[in-house]
Amino acid sequence: MSTSNIVELYGVTKAFGALTVLHDIDLGIREGEILTLLGPSGCGKTTLMRIIAGFEATTHGRVTIKGADVSYLPPDRRPVNMVFQRYALFPHLDVFDNVAFGLRLKKWSKERIREAVQHMLHLVQLDEYGSRWIHELSGGQAQRVALARALVNSPSVLLLDEPLAALDLKIRHHMLAELKRIHQETGTTFIYVTHDQDEATILSDRIVLMNKGRIEQIGTPEEMYAHPRSLFCARFLGETNILSGAVSATDSDTTYVSVGAGTAKVPANGTAVLLGQSVSLAIRPEALQVSRIGQGAGTPGEAENMLEGVVEDVVFMGSRVLYSIRTPAETIKYQETRSVDGSMLARGERVRASWRPDAAVLLTR
Amino acid sequence: MLRFYVWLYVAFLYAPIAIITLFSFHSSPSLTFPFEGVSLRWYAKIFSDTTFLNSLWNSLIVGASTAAITTVLGSLTALGLARLKGRIQTVFGLLAFGPVALPGLFLGIALVMLFSQIGLQRSLVTVTIAHVLFTLPFFIEAVRSRIEYFDLSLEEAARDLGATPLQSFRLVTLPIIGPTIGGAAILSFALSFDEFIITVFVSGNDTTLPLTIWSMMRRAVSPDINAASVISLGLSIGMILIGGLLVWYQRRLALGARAKDIET
Repeated sequence: MSTSNIVELYGVTKAFGALTVLHDIDLGIREGEILTLLGPSGCGKTTLMRIIAGFEATTHGRVTIKGADVSYLPPDRRPVNMVFQRYALFPHLDVFDNVAFGLRLKKWSKERIREAVQHMLHLVQLDEYGSRWIHELSGGQAQRVALARALVNSPSVLLLDEPLAALDLKIRHHMLAELKRIHQETGTTFIYVTHDQDEATILSDRIVLMNKGRIEQIGTPEEMYAHPRSLFCARFLGETNILSGAVSATDSDTTYVSVGAGTAKVPANGTAVLLGQSVSLAIRPEALQVSRIGQGAGTPGEAENMLEGVVEDVVFMGSRVLYSIRTPAETIKYQETRSVDGSMLARGERVRASWRPDAAVLLTR
Repeated sequence: MLRFYVWLYVAFLYAPIAIITLFSFHSSPSLTFPFEGVSLRWYAKIFSDTTFLNSLWNSLIVGASTAAITTVLGSLTALGLARLKGRIQTVFGLLAFGPVALPGLFLGIALVMLFSQIGLQRSLVTVTIAHVLFTLPFFIEAVRSRIEYFDLSLEEAARDLGATPLQSFRLVTLPIIGPTIGGAAILSFALSFDEFIITVFVSGNDTTLPLTIWSMMRRAVSPDINAASVISLGLSIGMILIGGLLVWYQRRLALGARAKDIET
C-alpha cells in the first residue's frame, strides 16, 4: 500500500463465536483525510473502528498505524483517540478535568496542561466552560467536550463513532460544519463511522461503504453517487430508480437492455455481460426528463431510453418537487427543481420519462 | 376514620421505641409510670458492665470485618454481574439475591452443620462468616442497581485516553461507584450489628451485643437493658441512615444523568 497511508488494515477478519462480522478487510487510510465507514447497522463498521482503536482484537489480519504493527497493542498504547457515540464523558469530573484526563496520564506539567486544555476549549468554542459539570452541558456542548478531550492528545487518527446520532437535526448540521472546520484547523486524520448517508456525503473525502462485513465500494462521495458499482451502493447513497431487465444486444461501446416494453441503451462500462443476462439499470430521479404526452412529442429516434406512465403522487418540498410515476415496468421517482413560474405536473397526468444513455448505470449485482 | 388509623399505626410502630428510650433515662429502677426524673445512671451502669462492653466490642469487630469482606466479595460480584449478558445475568442475579428469602433459622442450622463437618470451632470467626453470607445479597443488590447505570464505555474512554486497566478503575470506575459501595458497606455493618437468629446458632463463647441483651433479659428485667438497647438502636439507625442516604443520593445522580442523556 501507499506510504501516505497512516492506517493500514491487512486481511482483517473478526468472528464472534460462529458469527463472522468482518471478512478479510484490506483498507488504507490516507494521512489527513476524512474517511467515513458507512453502512447499515450490523455491517461491521463499528467493529472495524473498535479494532483500529484496540477495543477488539482481530481474529485474523493486521493493523498498522504509521507503519508500526499495533495489532497486539492495548488501546492505551495506540496513538489514536476516539469520540464515543454517547460521548462517555466522565461525570465526576468537570469539563477542564475531562479534557485534561489524557495529558495528566502522560504526566505533563500543570502549566502545559492548562495551556493545552485552554487551547482546545478555544478550538471547540467552549472557552468559558472549563469549570462546568458534565450534566450541565447540552448535547452539542457535550459533543464538543468529547472532541476536545480526544484531540488534546494530538492523536495520529481521530476515531468518531456515530458522534452526531444523539443530536437533533438542526444541531447535527451545525456540528457537521464544525467538524469540517476543526478537521481543517488541526489537519488530523478522521475516521468517521455513520449509518447516515447525508452525513457521509457532506463530510467525507472518501467513503467506505460496508455491507455484511465486507467493503462494498470505496470512493469519493461524487464517485459513489455517480458510479455505484452495485445495487446496494446505488440504493444506499441517495434516491435512485432501479429498472430491471435483460441484456438484448451488445456492441463495442453500448449495451442494450430490454426494459418493460422498450429498450435502454447504456454505455458499456467494462462490466462483462452475456446476452439474456438479467441486469439492473440505476437512474437518479434528477437525471430524468419528463414531459406531458402530446406536448413536444419526441422524434422516433428517442423511443429508446424512455418509459411512459401516469403521475401517481406529487410531493412539494420547497425548492424541489418529487413525483412518483407509475409505468408498466416499475414505479419510478422523478425529481425536478421548482420552476420559476411554479408550474407542476398534476396527479393523473400521462407523461413520458426519458434519460440520456450516460445517465444510467448498468449493474449486474 | 382512616386518618385516625394512620396515627394508631405510627403509635403502634414507635411507642415501644419511645418508651424504652424514655425509661433508659429514668432516675428510678421502676419500669412503670409515673416518670420520676431524668438521669444517666443506667448508662453509667451499663458502661461499667464488662460483659456488655465486651460484647459491644465483639459486635463492632464482627461488623467491621463483615463489612470489609462483604465489600470486597460483593463489589467483585456486582461488577462481574454487570458484565454478564441476557438470561445468564438474570439467573445469576436471582441466585445472588436468593439467600435473602431463606429463613435465618435454616441458615443458622445449615451453617452449624457445615462448621461441625469441616471441624471449625464456633467463635467470632464463624459468626463473621455467617454474617458475610447474610449481608452479601443485600450488598450486591444495593451496588448492582447503581452499576446497572454505569456506562461501561466510560472505562473504554479512559483506556482510549491512555489509562491502564488499573488506572481506569482507580480514576474512573471507583470515584463513580465508590460512594455507593461505601453506603452498601455501612448497610452491611448495620445488618451484621443487629443480626440475632443466625448468630445464636454459630456463636461460641464470645457473644455479640444482641445476644448479650437477650441473656440480660432472661436473668432479670432491669432498667440497664433499656440503656443497652438504646445504644444498639442508636448505632444501627445512624448507620442505616448514612448508608441509605449515600446509596439513594448516588442512584439519583445516576438517574439524573441518564434522564439528561435521553433528553439530548
